[in-house]
Amino acid sequence: MHIVLKEVARSYFVGKEKIEAVRNVSLEIKRREFISIVGHSGSGKTTLLSIIGGVARPTSGTVLFEDNDIYFFDKDRLSEYRCERIGFIFQFASLLPNLTAKENVLLPVLFKTHGNRDIADSEKKAIELLHRTGVGDKVNAYPSQLSGGQQRRVAIARAFINDPEIILADEPTGDLDEETEMEIMLFFRRMNEEAGTTFVMVTHNSELVRTTGRQLKMSNGLISTVLHE
Amino acid sequence: MNRFNLFTLAIKNIQRKKFRTGILVFSITLIVSVLVFGVSFILNVNSGVRRASDRLGADLIVVPVGARGYAEEVLLESKVKSFYMNKNVIERIKRIEGIDTVTFHTYITTIQGVCCDIPEATVVAFNQGSDFIVQPWLEKAIGRKLEKNEAIVGHESFLNIGMGLMDAMLFGTRFRIMGALEKTGTGLDNAIFMSDENIEEILQKGKAPLKPDVISIIFAKVQKGYDPYNVGRSIEGEVIEADVMARSDIGKDIISVLGDINMIFSITVFMASILSVLLAWAIFSATVNERLREVGVMLALGAKESHVSKLFFIEVFFIGLMGSVCGVVFGTTLSVLLMKSFTILKNLPGGLNAVDRAAIGVAGFVTGTGICILGAFSPIQRIKKLEPLAVIKGELA
Repeated sequence: MHIVLKEVARSYFVGKEKIEAVRNVSLEIKRREFISIVGHSGSGKTTLLSIIGGVARPTSGTVLFEDNDIYFFDKDRLSEYRCERIGFIFQFASLLPNLTAKENVLLPVLFKTHGNRDIADSEKKAIELLHRTGVGDKVNAYPSQLSGGQQRRVAIARAFINDPEIILADEPTGDLDEETEMEIMLFFRRMNEEAGTTFVMVTHNSELVRTTGRQLKMSNGLISTVLHE
Repeated sequence: MNRFNLFTLAIKNIQRKKFRTGILVFSITLIVSVLVFGVSFILNVNSGVRRASDRLGADLIVVPVGARGYAEEVLLESKVKSFYMNKNVIERIKRIEGIDTVTFHTYITTIQGVCCDIPEATVVAFNQGSDFIVQPWLEKAIGRKLEKNEAIVGHESFLNIGMGLMDAMLFGTRFRIMGALEKTGTGLDNAIFMSDENIEEILQKGKAPLKPDVISIIFAKVQKGYDPYNVGRSIEGEVIEADVMARSDIGKDIISVLGDINMIFSITVFMASILSVLLAWAIFSATVNERLREVGVMLALGAKESHVSKLFFIEVFFIGLMGSVCGVVFGTTLSVLLMKSFTILKNLPGGLNAVDRAAIGVAGFVTGTGICILGAFSPIQRIKKLEPLAVIKGELA
């Protein structure tokens, strides 16, 4: 099993009110799986994705990656996990405004500890990824020179730069038109099949949900329904 | 080709807020230039006094009681002063245990428009038989002793009043100016020198404010194995009409005044430094708050706390470096240009050498970058511990 979540919960306080974003979720994610998660806003999807990605420590429960509890890692090892094992696609524009598209894609390479850290090699790969996500002509453009959809595609390219084993995508096609959305999904599908990348994708798009291997529904912090397995 | 790395990222970040960066660089420049200028001034005076007293070559200087300050003004600051004691003091000092060699000068002040056609200056009549203060420089300049009615001018006199190879009227007597001495690095560089054989004639003509059988100052060397302070105390015990200064005491008054200036200056720099640290803190706090989302994204993408610290510290270091370099250049230029407009430094010999300047520059650089790092430390510590979940959920602007 690639990732195992056991009784994972995450709560926080807004003033005196306790919000339980994720409640005792248990989930097993196999290698090369393509999972989609649907649910209303505030149902805990993004928090769950963040917990899997080593970004938000759960209040209770364990997250096992290759049988190791990632939240037992020290800070640096947890950062290495995020950098080298995980590719994160955020729901909002997350590009650094003073970096070009290529530099934004290269950003995670700066944080790598293991493997090939050669920037010259990575530059070639960054350009190739930008081409594959359909913004190959915007290599040296700054985010302010790109449309929302183009920025999103740069962010998608960035998620793949360190050859992650798992892509955690939070509404990755939100800003894209239908045609580009399909291109990106095709790219994801190819990466899933050819490179063996595991995908966990949050989306509201029911069309996209149908193209994924397993569909989960979240509500009130719980995985309530498995739509299709 | 510029490769993308944390360094280039930091430089790009610095370039984003040019005005804000400029304000911080300017404040660091100001504080560093004040520091460099102030330290240069104090070291300049200090080393000038030390150099001048060392170059005189005497272990002890004997002057009339109460004339200590005047002597320092003549020997260190080239001021025109005259003070006298009876000539018999020389023989009494020679008899004191531990005294090796003794020589003496008589300082006669020229008065412009009365006795001669040169500006007010100190004329030094020295004894060529015993002298070890002027003689070595004289040998270099003309290779022989001065004859009667011959004079030689100090290096600065030559430059300042243009006295060179010509005749000059001094105290009603025509003197042949034999040339100029090389720079001695003492206040005597502004004087005019003649043999004490001329004093009798000057006295006869009555055109100098001078009485017979007086001298101004005695220079003494002590024998090996004797402590100059002990010998000096013996002189003061035996010759009550004399004050004695050891070589290391010359310029003590100037240096003690300097100590007060130093303290005022240190307090000023310290307070200005605190202000600059607070400014750096405010600017970096604002910067950090503006970049919460970016840092959150970087942390979520796998940046370690050390990457975030390193990135910000490179930025801080560069801002400090720019401010420090500008401050060192500005402060040094100011100190070079303005040094001679301070009365205390006008006539002091020497100046700072390249090593002194480099050391001051390094001190300025360390202070400038230190201020920046100190100011930015707390905001950087805060941001590197940011939990990126808020960023991922889009809760941060």
